[in-house]
Amino acid sequence: MEQNDPLKHDIVVQMKGITKVYPNGIAANQGVDFSVRRGEIHALMGENGAGKSTLMKILFGLEQPTGGEILVNGEKVSFASPTAAITHGIGMVHQHFMLVPSLTVAENIVLGMVPRKSGMFIDFKKATELTNEYAERFNLAVNPIAKVVDIPVGMKQKVEILKALIRGAKILILDEPTAVLTTQETAELFRELVHLKEQGYTIIFISHKLNEIKQITDRLTIMRGGKSMGVYETASISEQEISRLMVGRDVILDVQKGAPTPTDVVLRVRGLEYTNEWNKKMLDGVSFDVRKGEILGVAGVEGNGQRELVDMLFDLKEPHAGTASVNGTDVINASQARIRAMGVSLVPEDRMTYGIAEAATIEENIISDRFEEKRFNHGPLFNMKAIRAESDRLIKDYTVLCKSRKQKVKMLSGGNIQKVVVAREFSSDPTLIIADQPTRGIDVGATEFIRKKLVDLSRAGAAVLLVSADLNEVMELSDSLIVLYGGKIAAYFEDTSQLDDLVMGEYMLGLKRQSDEEIGRVCHEK
Amino acid sequence: MRNKRMFGFELVRGAAAIAVALGVATIFIFLSSKEPLTALRYLLIGPLVSIKGGVASFNTQGFYNILAAMIPTIFTGLAVCVMFANNQFNLAGEGIVMVGGFVAALAGIYLHMNTGWHAVVCVLIAAVIGGLIMLIPALLKVRLGASEMVTSLMLNYVCMYLVLHFLNYNFADRSKGSTQTYAFADTARIGSLVPGGSKLSWGFVVALVFVVIIALFMYRTRWGYAIRMIGINEAFSKYSGMKVGGTIVLAQVVGGALSGMGGGIEVLGRYTTFLWKELPGYGWTGVTIAILAKNNPLLVPLAAFFIAYLNKGCQLMATYSDVPSEMIDIIQAAIFLFFAAEQFLAGYRQKIVVKNTRADLAKVAANAEGGAE
Repeated sequence: MEQNDPLKHDIVVQMKGITKVYPNGIAANQGVDFSVRRGEIHALMGENGAGKSTLMKILFGLEQPTGGEILVNGEKVSFASPTAAITHGIGMVHQHFMLVPSLTVAENIVLGMVPRKSGMFIDFKKATELTNEYAERFNLAVNPIAKVVDIPVGMKQKVEILKALIRGAKILILDEPTAVLTTQETAELFRELVHLKEQGYTIIFISHKLNEIKQITDRLTIMRGGKSMGVYETASISEQEISRLMVGRDVILDVQKGAPTPTDVVLRVRGLEYTNEWNKKMLDGVSFDVRKGEILGVAGVEGNGQRELVDMLFDLKEPHAGTASVNGTDVINASQARIRAMGVSLVPEDRMTYGIAEAATIEENIISDRFEEKRFNHGPLFNMKAIRAESDRLIKDYTVLCKSRKQKVKMLSGGNIQKVVVAREFSSDPTLIIADQPTRGIDVGATEFIRKKLVDLSRAGAAVLLVSADLNEVMELSDSLIVLYGGKIAAYFEDTSQLDDLVMGEYMLGLKRQSDEEIGRVCHEK
Repeated sequence: MRNKRMFGFELVRGAAAIAVALGVATIFIFLSSKEPLTALRYLLIGPLVSIKGGVASFNTQGFYNILAAMIPTIFTGLAVCVMFANNQFNLAGEGIVMVGGFVAALAGIYLHMNTGWHAVVCVLIAAVIGGLIMLIPALLKVRLGASEMVTSLMLNYVCMYLVLHFLNYNFADRSKGSTQTYAFADTARIGSLVPGGSKLSWGFVVALVFVVIIALFMYRTRWGYAIRMIGINEAFSKYSGMKVGGTIVLAQVVGGALSGMGGGIEVLGRYTTFLWKELPGYGWTGVTIAILAKNNPLLVPLAAFFIAYLNKGCQLMATYSDVPSEMIDIIQAAIFLFFAAEQFLAGYRQKIVVKNTRADLAKVAANAEGGAE
């Protein structure tokens, strides 16, 4: 015991000079120093792409560092896998939950360490007891026999935390835990985290939301561009200072946009219904209109039907009832080619699956929706000159940072990948743009750029349907918005300028619901 | 700079895979042979160097033979390139080569045309039939979701036994001791490219022309583009509005046509009658070639040359030493393994990436400093 050195004794995790270069050449961490004291809530802050998640993945054994060393409780460690990290008392709750939807809460919690009866059968009773015992001890209320598919996001997160605690975690890494939570759920989570802290647990809290950090953390480390910008006592640093260190310049958070002048209805959706494979009704009679020249936002906690709505409009799934049309033409039964021919563009939520072909070049990704057009073909052959000109022009217009149009898309950063997607989707002179989480996980510069483009396009006469789990984004960008809860529209706000996020939270959580008349106003029928 | 390094890496990786494979072969030769050095000499330099009385000389006929052996495998290699680039693991090329050869032979026997056109028509018929046969696994895949790998693999035997049936019962020349067709008309033969009765026919030139055509098709036309994009990411292609089903069918039909053509040219260029009684193996070799060429049509001739050379070397080794010709399977399998293994030398690759990135970062830092001053 090094009792004569209290400071050293105090440190539970120390990472020195961590460097990580991914196989695609992105240096996500460049000599990062990071240390956490026992029993503190330590924020790891930084913009998307700053390297926070990479650093934590290294600590949790999901990624191997290219250089640097890690000490846990003063002992030098190297984690080949999360299993190794868990045996050293490190647990991680990912941003996207790693749960099996068709199993119960208790089954999920004991997965991989299942209690058995007579050495063979799963002891469900014991699993339930174990879950209840831990839930009580840590004040994390969950229903052990509910199926994960049926429980709200807030409870899923508690299940994840319990999973880590039951495996003996003393150090908890939470990756943007509030990203999917409402204001009320966030407050509840914070109470639980403080409770854990009081019992001597150490919490590393990844976030980029300033107000939350000020609220519950003791110290914070700020990262920018793969480097550490220093460690600070939360109480002694101002929000402005944190913001400056995170971004390195003053960010204009609110987008400047003129008043909308909506005209004819472009997208008309009536009575859309969809039931998923676990027999859960994901969309339940959704009706709304999007008009030319306006941005209609779709807010809501993730998993309340947003994804299904977009999938239906772009023929990725078939609805079980309802209609949708663009300028009077049915889109439900049309192929993507036909939908695109109607002037519909989609910035997909899952950009790595739908938005791009990773192993193809930027040029090949840019022309994917227009390569059959006459201007890009000379008889049977491609008109390479026109294709080059088009991709060079779009790379320039959308400030895609790259070596050349021949670079593979997988070599680009997240923000630049999204710019490639947006360059294609926004440049086809669309009448309707469906933007699904258009700025998720990308850097500030690209975010600003994409938001500004969206506003410009809508003011130039495009109809925009903006789906976003980022409350700030959906409230700032939309002219009017609907809130989805449990597959239904819970509220419609004609004017977003006076909206308050606490009110939004109540609708998003299903605590409140507007009357059918109020909601019905989103259908602009004559 | 970066691209040069990465390209260099790929070359080193390929060379290393071949070296390791030959190393494995050497071990087996030393284990199984009483005269390992002789065996190795035939394997490695035998195909091109003949040694008579202690004097080494370039073996021109041997060289022609290797080129001749490349003719069918260039076609099947190209066919597999097109289909694999579309992410369709279609293996029916093997059976279609046989059908193509058979159909071309029949057209050569029973059609009566002028020199020049006759052979062309025979080969075109083989190509059309090859493309049509490929519709079976392609449509089963697109319409019913049946794995093209399974259906095409089975299809090979359907092809083979159909050919054997018709050969035995309908078209055999009963005057001959073995089962074979009548001789095709002189007008249908594909002539030799070089004097001296070599098997190196004009088919070789046609094969090279098709290398260029397929490279253009894949990289310079909308169809080839769609084939490649669907191969990389089908969901993305569908979302982009491409006709995914039609393109998947197209890729396989093109693959079938190329395979059929390869079979036709091989039969009309090498033989005077059709006498295959089992699958010729060119379809399988095509798979090896496509993997060596990384689905790049322009690299197919190189890969085909390499395989032909290796085959010849193994043949010579089996003939003139005590090592069995099956050795080639071991060597091919070893090369295959190291080429296909993404992680082979991945650590070395990562080092290059780190080095590149460090260099980039240093450059950025230098620029920033320069800008500040």
